[in-house]
Amino acid sequence: MFPFVYGFTWDAGNIIFLGLFFSAVAVIVSTVMVATLRTRKDFALRKQESIRWESDFHDLPSSARKCRHEFTGEFKHRTCDNSFECGECATHAKLIEHALQNAAAEEPKENAQQKIYGFDMPLDRMYHRGHTWARPESDGTFTIGIDDLGSRLVGLPEHIELPAVGTRIHANGTAWHVKKKDSDVRIMAPVDGEVIETGGPEKDWYLKVKPISVKVETGHLLRGNEIRPWLMREVERLQLSLAVESVGATLADGGEPVKDFSKSYPSANWDSVLGEMFLEP
Amino acid sequence: MAERRCPVDKQLIIRGVTRTSLRNFFFWILPWSGILAVGLYAIYLCLAVGLNQTNMDNRFAFGVWIFLDLAVIALGAGAFFTGFLLYILKKDELKAVINSAVVLGFICYSGAVGVLMVDVGQPLRAWFTFWHPNVHSMLTEVTFCITCYLTVLAVEYSPIVLKNRKLKQVPSLMVFEFEIHKVMYVLAGLGTFLSFFHQGSLGGLYGVLRGRPFAFREGLAIWPSTFFLFILSAAAVGPSFILFMTWIVSKISKKNLVKKEVYSLLGKISGTLLIVYVLLKTIDTLIWINKTSPSVGFPAFEFYAWNPFGTWILFAEIVLFGLIPALMLLNKKVQERLPLLVTAAVLACAGVALNRFVMTIQTLALPTLSFDPFLSYLPSWQELATFGAVIAYGVIVYSFSFRYLNLFPQERDLNQL
Repeated sequence: MFPFVYGFTWDAGNIIFLGLFFSAVAVIVSTVMVATLRTRKDFALRKQESIRWESDFHDLPSSARKCRHEFTGEFKHRTCDNSFECGECATHAKLIEHALQNAAAEEPKENAQQKIYGFDMPLDRMYHRGHTWARPESDGTFTIGIDDLGSRLVGLPEHIELPAVGTRIHANGTAWHVKKKDSDVRIMAPVDGEVIETGGPEKDWYLKVKPISVKVETGHLLRGNEIRPWLMREVERLQLSLAVESVGATLADGGEPVKDFSKSYPSANWDSVLGEMFLEP
Repeated sequence: MAERRCPVDKQLIIRGVTRTSLRNFFFWILPWSGILAVGLYAIYLCLAVGLNQTNMDNRFAFGVWIFLDLAVIALGAGAFFTGFLLYILKKDELKAVINSAVVLGFICYSGAVGVLMVDVGQPLRAWFTFWHPNVHSMLTEVTFCITCYLTVLAVEYSPIVLKNRKLKQVPSLMVFEFEIHKVMYVLAGLGTFLSFFHQGSLGGLYGVLRGRPFAFREGLAIWPSTFFLFILSAAAVGPSFILFMTWIVSKISKKNLVKKEVYSLLGKISGTLLIVYVLLKTIDTLIWINKTSPSVGFPAFEFYAWNPFGTWILFAEIVLFGLIPALMLLNKKVQERLPLLVTAAVLACAGVALNRFVMTIQTLALPTLSFDPFLSYLPSWQELATFGAVIAYGVIVYSFSFRYLNLFPQERDLNQL
């Protein structure tokens, strides 16, 4: 195998064969090394949260990855492959440019209240696809909370693990954890920021954050006329995930959504439902 | 009424899919564990007492174990070929089965290497073949390539394991999984290169046997025709084996695992390669019958005068398990009807297994000298138990992988109401 091993000769057969073998070994070792070094670099750059989201995103069912432009009817069917990073999507940029030229009048009024399918969805804030919202405040900070559908999903959680003041959270990363019916779900942060105050379900908001950079990226958040069709899809997804296999999907024929869905569906697989709705596969 | 489930087990199963209860799973694994235990005892006997525990001897040195090795390595080719089609040729539809293909490949190759260690009889001296390689031997090439490829498969298996729901909660494992997945195309390329050579060399191993005119073939440069036929047949049946395994797992678990189009695509790929293989195998057989065999003093029909290896075996190998499944797999109507497609895939897999059986067992059984008798060989219980252990090991590893890992990414979508 090596020149110092008894029986080794410098002939073409040995050189070609062992050359190929050592090349194959080198490729395997270097591939693993590259992955290891990149892992270390990702940790140094604190990219864990964005990687977690990217990794999770590709495991989401296609029904949870619908493009926001499908909600508004600009596409009949379009699935996002961009981890909902609309700022990096060329199609989104073109469509937004087009929409701005045509529909400046559709901007929602501040503090407008909107009840959609029985859910309170105020239009003074932007919504993350993982059922959180971010509201810009006059002092430059953002208030973060869980939307009405989300709060009815978690109902009265057994445990909430909020980040400590001073923690940096990242858009699409973990904002806080909720424990409900043996299920531990991470709730996603809608924007980047440093936590300056923590709230909870009793306060109607969960976190107040101070932006880390001058320009806060909010392009991926839903707003205005996107909210109604998005919520309709989310209600459909919820109905499907709560459906009983032998019965199939059913449609509510009226009434108001209850405060805690889990009390109405005690036998549903809540781990799966919460994972599905909060985008944690 | 919700079924009570073990919380630890529940936390390991991926979200959005359902798996049988832990109790049912235990009773599924139990008989396979029993088979594995008997096999491990047989392996212990072979290693502790010696290879006299087998019915092989110096004349019949390749038995049921080598047949098993060749068959599982051919069937496991689905891993390299699917990886090649997905990562190199960008056949994205195969994402639906790549994880399962990798697990199957890993099981096949690790099972084969395990049995080889027993077959060698002196596993502690296995390093000799690496330290003092005879680079002119096809077997050396097979040993090196299989070892490297098993390492590649283990690395390819690692991100699938690290994607387990509990393991991915560990940030370092989650990030490593992400990064290794990004460079997977390198390993897919290397796996293709290694598989190409060891599948070929396994065939070449028989083709160079000048002293065995039944197996001896002429070819191109240093490679006999069997070198190329083994590569092609393995690449052809690999997708068929994945198709069959996906279907059987789907039946056992009562879940839709992949879209119908994926089955059709696998069938189409397998059928295309199989028809080319059948054509080349036919040409090769005709050359062997009319030229190679007579030139060494053996009219080919003499080889088929020894029962039970009559000409029926040639017909079965080329027509029944070759041409017929190839035509079926290529037929559009068959591609749309899953039971027929699976039947064709099973026939194709049986064809490659029969080919490896013929090359191993029939080759050694036939007399080559005028005073040679026709040798018969029946494996001992230790050999069969070891054979069974590999199958049981495969079922157990696959069952755990299916239960706790995301082998079929389309499953959640397909089983959502």
